[in-house]
Amino acid sequence: MRARAAAGAALASAGILAAGWQAGAQAIEASQVTGVTTSGGTNGTASSGSGSSSTSGSGTTGGGSRAASSSALKDGSYTGAIESTRFGNVQVQLVVSGGKITDVKALQLTDAERRSQMISATAAPILRSEVLQAQSGNVDTVSGATVTSDAYLSSLQAALDAAHA
Amino acid sequence: MTTAFRTADRPAQPPSERPAGGLARTLRQRGRRRLLREDFLTILGWASGAAAVALYLADGGAGQFTNVTSGITGLGIIAGLIGTDLVLVMLLLAARIPFIDAAIGHDRAMQVHGKLGKPALYLILAHMVFLLVGYGLADRVNPIAEGISMWNDLPDLWLAFISTALFILVVVTSLVAVRKKFPYEFWYVVHLLTYAAVLTALPHQFSEGQLFAPGQWQRWYWIAFYVLVLLALLRYRIWAPIALTFRHQLSVSRVVAAGDGAVSIELTGVRLEELTGAGGRFFIWRFLAPGLWWHHHPFSLSADPAAGRLRITIRNLGRGSAALMSVRPGTRVALSGPYGLFGHAARTRPGLVLVGSGIGITPLRAILERAEFEPGTATVILRASTPETLYLRDEIAGLCQQRGATMYELVGHRARRGNAWLPRHQTGLRLSDYVPNLAAADVYVCGPKKWTDSVLEDARSTGLVDEQLHHERFDW
Repeated sequence: MRARAAAGAALASAGILAAGWQAGAQAIEASQVTGVTTSGGTNGTASSGSGSSSTSGSGTTGGGSRAASSSALKDGSYTGAIESTRFGNVQVQLVVSGGKITDVKALQLTDAERRSQMISATAAPILRSEVLQAQSGNVDTVSGATVTSDAYLSSLQAALDAAHA
Repeated sequence: MTTAFRTADRPAQPPSERPAGGLARTLRQRGRRRLLREDFLTILGWASGAAAVALYLADGGAGQFTNVTSGITGLGIIAGLIGTDLVLVMLLLAARIPFIDAAIGHDRAMQVHGKLGKPALYLILAHMVFLLVGYGLADRVNPIAEGISMWNDLPDLWLAFISTALFILVVVTSLVAVRKKFPYEFWYVVHLLTYAAVLTALPHQFSEGQLFAPGQWQRWYWIAFYVLVLLALLRYRIWAPIALTFRHQLSVSRVVAAGDGAVSIELTGVRLEELTGAGGRFFIWRFLAPGLWWHHHPFSLSADPAAGRLRITIRNLGRGSAALMSVRPGTRVALSGPYGLFGHAARTRPGLVLVGSGIGITPLRAILERAEFEPGTATVILRASTPETLYLRDEIAGLCQQRGATMYELVGHRARRGNAWLPRHQTGLRLSDYVPNLAAADVYVCGPKKWTDSVLEDARSTGLVDEQLHHERFDW
């Protein structure tokens, strides 16, 4: 009888682990496919960012709007600081147009592990839309992606500081 | 002093309605069903551990073992998953769930619970250490600096550190050597901190654990597991005792002396016929009188529940029991149970052997009253060092006579060599010398732990298997 329990336990455990492994292998494969597209996209933004080469923030029509409000942002695009985390580096690029934040591009996102990529892929759009809505870096971190969120917002803050300067 | 009498010539039992061999078949099926449940639980326990690892694998965790740093992190995560799974399994084992109790009994459940304690703690410690090292390597700082930054920067992680400290405290106070140094109540209160440890460990799993981030199906499995454990605890540890207490409205009716240093406490209540057949199993009692109500006592019934009456027979064995000796009639009593496999449900064979020592004799008295057996197939062996501690001897003799069971009284000091459960002048004899057809019987043993172990060893050496052996520790 004890043999039956031992055999049953071994079989059940092996079956469950095998199923988990199989599901994991598929997940890894799927992520590699999406991984290529995301990294391609990231490369694209990165190159366009460097193309505009506006790291220091070359505002063109910022003078007038700065006079209107002390918190006004100069137009242009600003690259934030590189924040390194245990899951990889995070760096964002801020685009200001008409004194407003019109876009936040993720130049680098945590990618140390496959799951980090997934987390980043979920967190980044949420953070971006929150920032665009709030027009500032004062937004909530995405739960389950605290590390990525913190790094994202720190990098963004650096870019905002540059835009205010 | 050894007396033996046999009264099988006048069975007072009504003639059995079962065909010959019917009882044997019924009991064999009962035993088989119970073993099936036991095996099912064993499989379920192992499968839950495998499932915890599978959650991680299904998330692509296997792809993480590509370099040392993330490999260490991966191991840390797996250790945390299995460790938490073990803690939840331990809580289920301690939840007094009827299915588990009927399959393996309360004693075995708590034994397994105790055995899992240290592995669970080691896994939780490994989880902490591996992640501190793994994350530290990734951040290029030492593990202690990493720990400090996690405590400061990450939400909920300081709670997790507190949780680990609580788990260490709970396990250390449960180690046999340490546990003996403190009163039971101290251990009990510290053990309640387990709930605090489980709760403080909870937030970081969902806010930091990427495996359980929103949108992951693993999150739902994990939440469901926690909810299941919570419901089981609420239902069987909290609701069941309250419901049973209100249902039976027990109060002490009288306390009578029952031999050397022992008393029988009789209780009256309502709907007690529902507890019929609970003889031998134990209840957890709380006598609701000043100074007594916060002690709970596990006592077996010493008579099968009769119309409107329950009875326990207890000996002055500790501070708690001493106070009970003088409990006043009219005292209200809260109870939960019955628990344990020391009863009719555990039978597997047509024959019956009841072996008891000292106060451990009393639950056997209750089993004998309603046990299923044909006259002449049951043996009762009572063991004591003095005749005054053969508790309930006269009642048992009467039942043996009425039901056709053989009774032996073994009185005297224990033997130094040989079979330690027998009196000195009986060395050289074995259990099989008292019971002719031992192989076709269930053996119920109740007494102090060492003595019980000695009887069981004797029985096993005759070729008896575990499913035939039933024992209850009774030295509290």
